[in-house]
Amino acid sequence: MSELIIRDLRVSVKGTEILKGVNLTIHSGETVALLGPNGHGKSTLLGALMGNPNYTITEGKAYLDGRDLFAMSVDERSKAGLFLAMQYPSEIPGVNSADFLKAAMNARREKPMSLFQFYSSLKNAYADMGIPFEMSNRNLNEGFSGGEKKRNEILQMKLLDPKFAMLDEIDSGLDVDAINVVSKAINEEQEKGRGFLVVSHYARLYDLIRPTRVAIMINGRIQLEGDPSIITRIDREGYEWLKREHGIKIEKDNAPMNDVSIGVCATREAVGKE
Amino acid sequence: MNSLFVDPKGQLDDIIIENEGTSPLLFAFFEDACDRDIRIRVKGNASVKIALADFSRGNGETRVSIDLDEPGASAEFHAAVLSSGDDRKTVLANCFHHAHHTDGLIENYGIAEGNSRLSFLGKSDISKGAYGSKTRQSAKIIVFDEHCVAQASPILCIDENDVQASHAAVVGKLNEEHIYYLLSRGLSLADARRLISLGYLKPIESFFEGETRNRIEEAIERGI
Repeated sequence: MSELIIRDLRVSVKGTEILKGVNLTIHSGETVALLGPNGHGKSTLLGALMGNPNYTITEGKAYLDGRDLFAMSVDERSKAGLFLAMQYPSEIPGVNSADFLKAAMNARREKPMSLFQFYSSLKNAYADMGIPFEMSNRNLNEGFSGGEKKRNEILQMKLLDPKFAMLDEIDSGLDVDAINVVSKAINEEQEKGRGFLVVSHYARLYDLIRPTRVAIMINGRIQLEGDPSIITRIDREGYEWLKREHGIKIEKDNAPMNDVSIGVCATREAVGKE
Repeated sequence: MNSLFVDPKGQLDDIIIENEGTSPLLFAFFEDACDRDIRIRVKGNASVKIALADFSRGNGETRVSIDLDEPGASAEFHAAVLSSGDDRKTVLANCFHHAHHTDGLIENYGIAEGNSRLSFLGKSDISKGAYGSKTRQSAKIIVFDEHCVAQASPILCIDENDVQASHAAVVGKLNEEHIYYLLSRGLSLADARRLISLGYLKPIESFFEGETRNRIEEAIERGI
C-alpha cells in the first residue's frame, strides 16, 4: 500500500502565493478527483509535487511512502513512482520519441532492457493507445496535435508504471474516441491498484474513470472533500452552492472577462502580472 | 574524385562541381583544430550536398565559400560542431549566388560546452542579375555552461528583387521547460542534456558511412 501525503503546503509563483495551506492524503487504489474554478491552484499543486521549477515551496511537506518529496530532485520523484501527465506537454525538437522512452524506462531499472523487450512493450503501448507506431520515430511531441500529445502522456504513464499518477486536464483536446481510449488505459492502471489525482472540468471523464473521492480546491486550499456525487452537482450547478451551503467565498470569481480566458491557470495569471 | 576529407589542413584546392547528383562532399574533423579554407564552385544545373562534422579540439576557423557560378546551380551545406574545454572555433560559411535560378542552403548546428567559444558566421550573397534564386542561412547553438560564449550571425546580402531569402539564428541555453519535462520522466540531468544534444549533432551522421560514421558517433558519445 502506497501513500501520498500533502501537509500544509504553501506555494508561490514569482512572489504570488497560489497554494495557501493544502492538506490531502491519497492511498494506492484511490482515484481522487480534484475540482475547482480556474485559477485556484489545481495545476500548481500537481506541478509543485512533481517539482516544476516555476514553483517555490514556501511552507509545508509532502511525503511519498514516507520519503520527503521536496528533498528529492524531479527525476528522483519520478523514479520513486510519481507521474504527472501535463496539461501542456513540451515539444522537444531533436529528441526522438523512442530514444526518450527507452531512456525513461531504463532510468528506473538496474539493468537496461533488451532491445527486443523494449520494442515489444513499446509496440503494445502504441497499439493500446491507438497511436501509429511510426510516431515513435518522430521528435517528442513536435508537431503532435493536442489529442496526440495527451495520448502520448498516457502512453508514457503505461510504460513507466508509476505508483501515483497525476493527470492535469488529460481530457482537454480529446475527441470522444480518444477519451474512451485514454480512460480505458486509466481503468487498467486503476485495476492494478495505482493511485490517481485527476484534474478535469468535465463530468464525462469522471463518468468513465469513476473517482473514489472528490476534493474541491478553492482559494488555494482544499475546502471540501466528499463522495463522487459532488461532481454531478458541480457539473449541473457550478460552484455557487458551496458559498450558500458551506460558507466558502470564492475569491477572484468575478474577475473581468479580459483577465480570464479559456485555459488560463493560476500560474499564467501570476506570470502575466510581472 | 575522393569526396571524403578527414582532417584536411590549410587551404584545399578548389572543388568544382559540374554534374547534377554529384556524390556528397564530406568533411570530418577529429584532431587538433586549425584554420582551413574550403572553396566549392558549382556550375550550371549542377547540385551538391556538403556535410561538415567538426569534433576537433583547439582553436581554428573553417572558412567555406560556395560559389553558385552558373544558372541552375544548387548547394546544401550542413554542419554540426561541438566545442568544449577551451576551444575557440569559428565556422564561416558563405554562399554566393552569381547567376539566376541558383539555390543555396546553409544550416549550422552547434553545442558549446565548458569555457569554449563557438561562432557561426556566414553570408548569403545574391548578386544583381541572380533573379529567381533562393537562399537560406541558419545557425543554431545550444550553450551548455555558464562560461562558454556562442555567436550566431547569418547575414543576407541581396542585390536583386525577384528572390527568396531567409535567415535564422538561435543561441540559447537548454530550455528549462524541456529539461523539466525529461526529468519528470525519470531521466537524469545528464541523460536529458545528452538526448537534447544528440538532436543537434546526430543528424549529421546520416551523411557519412563506414569508419568515419563510427568515429563521428564515438566523438558525439565522448563529447556529451
